[in-house]
Parts: sequence; structure tokens; C-alpha cells
Amino acid sequence: MSRVAAASIAWSQCRGADCVRLSGLAAGPSLAAGLSGLATGPGDLAAGLGVEVRPELDVVADGFPAMAGRLVHDGDDVCFVPRFPFVDGTSYTITVGSATAAVLTRPRPQPPATTQVLAIYPTAAKVPRNLLRFYIWFSAPMSEGYAAGHVRLVDAASNEPLTGAVLPAGSELWSADRRRLTVLLDPARIKRGLTAQRQAGYPLRRGEPFRVVVDDGFRDALGRGLRGAAERSYAVGADERRRVDPGAWTLFAPSGGTREPLEVEFSRPLDHGLLARCLHVTGPDGQPVAGGAEPGPGERSWRLTPRQPWAPGGHRLIVEPVLEDVAGNSVSRLFDRDLARPEDRPGPDQPVAVAFCPR
Amino acid sequence: MSEYGLRLGSADVRSAGPITFGPAGILFLADNGSATVFAVDVADPGPAADPEPFDLADVDARIGSYLGCAASDVDIRDMAVHPVSHSVYLSVQRGRGDAGQAVLVRIGVPDGTVTDVPLDQVPVAQTAIGDAPAEDDERQDVTLPSGDQGEEVTYGGRTIRILRRPIRTSTVTDMAYVDTDPGALLVAGLSNEEFSSRLRRIPFPFGDDVTGNSLEIFHVSHGKWETAAPIRTFVPYDHGASILASYTCTPVVHFPLAGLAPGSKVVGRTVAELGSMNQPLDMVSFADEGEEYLLVANSSHGLIKIACRDIDGQAALTTPQEPVGVPRETKDLQGITRLANLNGGYVLALQVDGDGRRHLRSLKSASL
Repeated sequence: MSRVAAASIAWSQCRGADCVRLSGLAAGPSLAAGLSGLATGPGDLAAGLGVEVRPELDVVADGFPAMAGRLVHDGDDVCFVPRFPFVDGTSYTITVGSATAAVLTRPRPQPPATTQVLAIYPTAAKVPRNLLRFYIWFSAPMSEGYAAGHVRLVDAASNEPLTGAVLPAGSELWSADRRRLTVLLDPARIKRGLTAQRQAGYPLRRGEPFRVVVDDGFRDALGRGLRGAAERSYAVGADERRRVDPGAWTLFAPSGGTREPLEVEFSRPLDHGLLARCLHVTGPDGQPVAGGAEPGPGERSWRLTPRQPWAPGGHRLIVEPVLEDVAGNSVSRLFDRDLARPEDRPGPDQPVAVAFCPR
Repeated sequence: MSEYGLRLGSADVRSAGPITFGPAGILFLADNGSATVFAVDVADPGPAADPEPFDLADVDARIGSYLGCAASDVDIRDMAVHPVSHSVYLSVQRGRGDAGQAVLVRIGVPDGTVTDVPLDQVPVAQTAIGDAPAEDDERQDVTLPSGDQGEEVTYGGRTIRILRRPIRTSTVTDMAYVDTDPGALLVAGLSNEEFSSRLRRIPFPFGDDVTGNSLEIFHVSHGKWETAAPIRTFVPYDHGASILASYTCTPVVHFPLAGLAPGSKVVGRTVAELGSMNQPLDMVSFADEGEEYLLVANSSHGLIKIACRDIDGQAALTTPQEPVGVPRETKDLQGITRLANLNGGYVLALQVDGDGRRHLRSLKSASL
């Protein structure tokens, strides 16, 4: 290897891309050869100029590859343009001819935290012992990989975490825009008959209040923490093991010819996520009634304000069979059913209609 | 590759998900960011490999060195072994949040070289995986896209382009290809809303019936309770006629697949329970001296080995007892998160040690 030295090595830009710029290279005889083909891969880098870039790692051993990238001849300078972007806050060692020529650290901008938790569902004050899930809404897109460490259930009396209550999801459950996180309680501790359920018991205990806590270490998509922690408190009631029964709901029919909302009161709280898409209203012509729908407090009710005044005649509230309560029981089936109870057999996988007529 | 419907294009993976090999060296990649499965010709350069063991220490730091990031920014989400060259393919998410990037990494065997597999301008096919919201689902998030994604909307005199994205998503937890006629990709997933239990069977080559059909899957524990069971990890069994599946402390369950109509309900036979406070992380089947075995990596119970003939002979569990179900051997190998068949003689494991460092390690089939 001929001796190659650079007068200055610094972060720079090369044809619009971030790079490490090596200026004032004093080259031995092989430099021209190394540059002539404008190397395209890390192997060529080593073989040609002997310029390599490596991130600072906790562990380093022989045979670790150099960072993928290419050398570009830019005027009198040589630029290393990485295949994958440099990471903020990470240090990189630049070696020339196997000797360390520079260590550069990418700046880490520290913009103030602006993202916050908007809501935690359910919003009911009391949940059944076999509660299945929470939803956490954030004000901005979030980063994956923080849910396990920054969302926890805490016993309200002792302030101790309820260990093992939340499903340690290998993959987190996000909405496509990464603003809504779904947190499942460990189903194996809710399903009756399983070893986990019998040995460890339910994640929650009846009569023992708890809190859901999201701490401010949860990072948003830009890597910033939250403006503050958020939490919601719950009391714990009896198990819920009944199918969702639209026949038991109360409908308050609106006045015909007006744009009064249709109000629907449920017999118990329903799932926040599913509620928003599992209820529709059709008019006398069978066509959907357009309007604004919103769930009520505690997810115990729902209302639809039509865009046009209610037409006279029979309307139908259409309930999708997948609509679940907060314990995962749906219109068509129970979360877990006792095979000895024929009345708990799954129902048809069909929408259920509830008729009403504007007054 | 055209016989499999692959055309030159790009696999634009937003969030790295499970991977598995199909026919002719085609790799399936699940993108949990766009609810899409891509089939990619990875053009593996390696020659056919000998059935030798392969170990590589600090695979996450090595990949970090190549990708220019810390080992903690290398999230290895799945592992697959090329059936001919035995090169190791890793589905990696590099970095987090907006800076995150899905990368398909190839580790050469036996030299341990690290490269990334191009996903641009390669033979590719793709299919969306169900659960897309209905056209009239008003509950969609609207964002301003970059490029020409989305649709044009006119407000007043101004036309802008917006992108509607569903709130409801499906996260792929595992995939496997079964060489039936026609071949099919089995996809297990978790919905972020309903506690669904669907297993999609997507014919390959991907056809017009892009979402395939889905089977609703229940398992019965101890003959007493029936539960909808989203699957965490599974392996095809009986040449694709059935699967063995497991999900979070729940039993290992045998599900027949043959002859089932789309959308029908499948009730599985519980053949084993692997213990409490434990999560199955990956499963692989391997053969040794003509016998087939199942290997299950667990979050807290080490590595569990079960003989398939015991599974075949196991009646459905009807009473809660310890130990539950088929005989099993527990190997004192902790920290194994992913498993793949390396070759006939070895199973490859991705193992995390007490310091959080990740290593590739070969386990000799005959010694398991």
C-alpha cells in the first residue's frame, strides 16, 4: 500500500449528497490507479485508495466490513458518499491506507419536544377484568421500537408495574401513519384453560385499580421524546363474556325532516377502534346515510348527524359482525367460549340490522 | 422469472417484516409499513454449498459496520437461508422513525461477507394483504404525499394531491411457502383492531385474486374452551397439507389446511403447551436419520424439540395437566430468537447473549 495522506477531512456535500470530503491528498503511485475507475463498492475502496469509513461500534473485531459507499472524484478532492445515510450523533472513523486519518461525529440536532399523547382508550372509568386492549393516540407520527419500554400498566395502590400484563409484541401494532398504537394485554392470560392463565392469572385483578402510563421517553418519528408523560386510571370490574347484542341497545330516533342526530346507547362500552367503522345507517332506499359519526363518552354510545335531513320511512342501523366490546367479544362470537354452553355458540358472520323510523 | 410473474421493478419496503424463500430462489418479503408482500429474485451469486456449520459472532455489529450505524440501530426482524448457496438473508430495519430504512442483508456462507441485496430494478411481484379499508371507510388519515402517490383533490381554485391511508392495518407475524400445486404463500398476521385469527393463503404466482383466501382459525384447549387465535409463528407440515402453529403461551396447534373452502373456519388440535410466561418466537422443522422434528425458540423456555411422530400420535389435549401434550426435550440454549434450516446437517440460530450482542450459530441436527 502506498502512503496516502489528506490535509483535511470533513463533512461535506457532493452533488447533493452528504459525504466525507478528503482534500489535499498527497498520493503515492497507486492513487491514480485507485481513482481511475472511480470505485463503486467497499471492496474497491480498500483495493484502491485505501480509504474506509466505519461507524464507532461498541464491539469491533477483525473482518468487520467497511461502511458501504463509493469514492467520487470531485475537483481535486475525493469524497466518500455512503450507500446509507450517516446517522445523527454517530461518530465515524476514516482510515486512509489502514491508518486512522480522522474521527468525525455527525451533529445531533436537539429540537424541542412537541409531540404528545392525545388520548388513551378505553375512556370508561371501569373496565372488565378480561380487558383485551388499549389504544394510544399521539399528536404526530412515532418511532417503532419504544412501546415495550415506555408503555406500562401500574398498580394504583402500590405504584408497582403489573409485570407481564402487556403482550410483549415482537412487532408493534401501529396505524399506517404511526399515530395510533394498539396495546394488547397478554391474551394467553385471558384465555381460560391455558397454562399461563391458570398459573399467572389474569393481567388485571378485580377491585384493584391500575393506571396506564406512557412516559416521555417514547420517541416520535423525528427521534424526539414526548412533551410529557400521559396516563389514565381505571377501576377493574367483573369479566365480560357475552356477545355484543345490538338488540339490547337503545336507539333515540331523530325527528323526521330535521338534521337531529341519531343517538344509540350501548348496553356496555365497545371497542374504540372498531366502533368507528362498524356502524352505518341506511335509509328507506337502502342507501347509506351520509353524515358525521362520533362515539360518545366512555364508548358507551354513538351518534350520527346526517348531512341531509332525515327522510321519512324505515331506516336501519347496520352493525358489522366484527364489532367487539373492550374484552374482544364480538357480535358474532365470544373471545373464548365454554364449549359446554351451547348458547355461546358463534352466531352468523353477517351484519345485524336494527330498524328505526325518524319520529 | 417471468414464469412466476416477476417483472423488473422496485420492492419499496417501508418497514422490514418477515421473509421466507419460495421457488427458484425467490424471496418473499413482508412490508408491515404498506401491508404488502413482495416476491423478489435475489439473484444469489453463491455456488451450491457444502453441509458445513456456519457461525458468525456479532452479526448485528458487523451489519452496523457495513450500514454505517450502531448495532442498536440494526433491528434484525427475520432470517432466511437460501436453499442452494445457504447464504443467510436478514430482514433488517436500519434506524428508527423517519430515518428508518428497510434493508435486505445477505451474509455470504462460509466467508461471512456482508452485503445488501438490491431491491431496485430487480425482478419483482407484489400483492396487497387484505384488510384494506372499504372504499367508503371515512376513517382514513390524510397526508400530503411526496411524488405522484395519492389522488388529486380540488379545494376552491386549488388542486392538491393527498394520500389517504387506513387506520386499520395488518401486521405480518410469519410467512411460509408451500410447494403445493399451485404453490401458495401462507401469511399469518395480527390486526391492530379486531382480535382476528385469519391465515391468508395466497396463490403464487400472484394472480388477480390478490388477497388470496383466508381461513378463520380457532384452537380448542383441553376440550373445554375455544378461542380465536392469531398466529405468532408457524411451519408448514405434511407437505403443506397442514400447519403447526403457536401464539403466545398458547398451545402448539395442528391445523389441517387441505380441501378447505375460502373463508371457512378451521378448528385446530392442540398437541402441546409449552408453559407459561413464555412466548414462542420462531419454529423450524428438520430431519435427522429419517425422523422429522420440530424446534421451537422461546422467550423464556430455551429451545424445545418435539418429534413429529409424537405430534401425529397425540390426541387433542382434553385435560389440563403438567407436562401438557407431546413429549419434548428442552435444550439449555437461551436467547435464540430466530431459526432457519441451514442445510441438512445444521439448523442456524440467531442468538442474543447476556450483553445484548447477536450471533449466528449453527446447531448440529444430530446433536439436538
